[in-house]
Amino acid sequence: METNFQPVIRFLGEDSILVEFEPVVSWEVNGKVRRLMHALEKKGINGYRMALPAYRSLMVFYDPWEISDDGILSAVQAALTESELMDEPEGRLFRLPTVYADKWGPDVARVAELSDISTDKVIELSSNLKLPVYFLGYICSQAYMGGIPKELQSPRHKSPRALVPGGSFGFGGPQANILAVDSPSGLNYVGRTFVKVFNPDRFPPTAFSPGDFVQCYAVDEKTAIEAGKKPMEDFIEPLCHR
Amino acid sequence: MNRFAIVNPGLLTTFQDLGRTDMLKYALSASGAMDQMAVRLVNLLLGNPESAAVLETTMAGLKLRALSDGWIVVGGADLGLVVNGRLADMWTILSIREGDVVGFNQPRFGMRAYVGVSGGFDAPLILGSRSVYLRGSLGTALKRGDKIRSLESAEMRASKKIKLPARFIPKQDMQQAFRVLAGPQMDYFSDHGIKVFSTATYTISPVSDRQGIRTDGPPVERVKGPDIITDPTPMGGIQIPGDGVPIILHRDAQVTGGYAKIALLCQADIDRAGQLCPGDEIRFEFVSRQEALTLLKRQKKALAEVKEALAA
Repeated sequence: METNFQPVIRFLGEDSILVEFEPVVSWEVNGKVRRLMHALEKKGINGYRMALPAYRSLMVFYDPWEISDDGILSAVQAALTESELMDEPEGRLFRLPTVYADKWGPDVARVAELSDISTDKVIELSSNLKLPVYFLGYICSQAYMGGIPKELQSPRHKSPRALVPGGSFGFGGPQANILAVDSPSGLNYVGRTFVKVFNPDRFPPTAFSPGDFVQCYAVDEKTAIEAGKKPMEDFIEPLCHR
Repeated sequence: MNRFAIVNPGLLTTFQDLGRTDMLKYALSASGAMDQMAVRLVNLLLGNPESAAVLETTMAGLKLRALSDGWIVVGGADLGLVVNGRLADMWTILSIREGDVVGFNQPRFGMRAYVGVSGGFDAPLILGSRSVYLRGSLGTALKRGDKIRSLESAEMRASKKIKLPARFIPKQDMQQAFRVLAGPQMDYFSDHGIKVFSTATYTISPVSDRQGIRTDGPPVERVKGPDIITDPTPMGGIQIPGDGVPIILHRDAQVTGGYAKIALLCQADIDRAGQLCPGDEIRFEFVSRQEALTLLKRQKKALAEVKEALAA
């Protein structure tokens, strides 16, 4: 599938081009999106404004008064060709101190029951995961992560919780997130980090980038709360392996 | 300088400007005034930068008491502007004295009015904009008792005209169809569904807000979906969720989403959509990208003409 699929490139609205790769959620396909975004940003195209990535698509915004349709189209095509040959920049690992279970992670017991393992095992497995960031989306720099192993995959709640606190870490199926701000959500929340993953008082408001990895490792409540005093960059560690 | 005390915030009053348009990369919606042409015009009349912060007030109830002398201009929706209980003109520089009470007592047309002050409001600057974004906890709605300030500039002066010439006042004709471009998931809908979407009348639902303008009307028939692999949702995107009824994503919309989008509202119609009230009836009409760009160009030209006229 991957070798034969030709990306679909088309104009969308007055001022953007949408590039779509294979219609699947996979780290490999998402890598094409990440590399294309990187190639576009490196090129410094006149009239290019910004790009918004998702799992398998990239929306490229430009200024239609500054660059012609033909101009932007050929620039995107050229970036696409270049991106196929380039390595993407090394992702970073964010190790975020996280307090698990009880009021901080109300769904640990549910995941344990659905997965037929102990609650301790749920915490141990979750704590060791290094989850890849596919893209930032939804609202407030929400990191869309994947890579939840089969043994922890649990369906979402049938009816979403009305309000889950920002900083909550949870998953549903293979997908995971850390809520940027208090939000309704149907995922299974197992823990909470107090490190601010979205901080509008700073630019950029988040340090996460697509291609990074996140580990929510278990600590006690006091350590987790204490960690919230530091900026998220303080939790970047060298990534030994992908 | 303290300018006003909030006697009554009405249904919803927030600081807005032209939004944080370059934060999309960080998955932060632009926010900003729902009707940005109105904000530009209000600010131009006051001699402010077009992007100065104004109050956006929704439908009814806002009442302000002036804490100092100064100029204001009110534009956007006609919500029955009164100063000290007497009807006052919109799109006009009004001299307000300390103790004066500015309010809105009867919505007549449109959803959101804008109150601008000379200098612009001194709202917190967050990531390059003073626009409040409630879902993201970027700023808060105004509440009773709040005191709001304006920025002072060394060279404060209003434009040479005290009234916006009538020909420049936005008409916001809701009878005119809302023009749309093909959306990224047109293939999720049947021919019949697309026909229904582009011919039926949709009524604006009361649960609409700054994030999404919801409608009631005939469902749009699908051939697949409604869920898609989460993809970018540009402002103005028209998504069709499970119940089949269109939602127009507006200034505070999420930047990615998982519902199929049948169309994108033309940018030239975004401000007009920002003035839609519950109960308004609208239609959608597909146009070509060239037409959409022409509409946009016309809007830019109109703005340039306003600037010229106000400077003359």
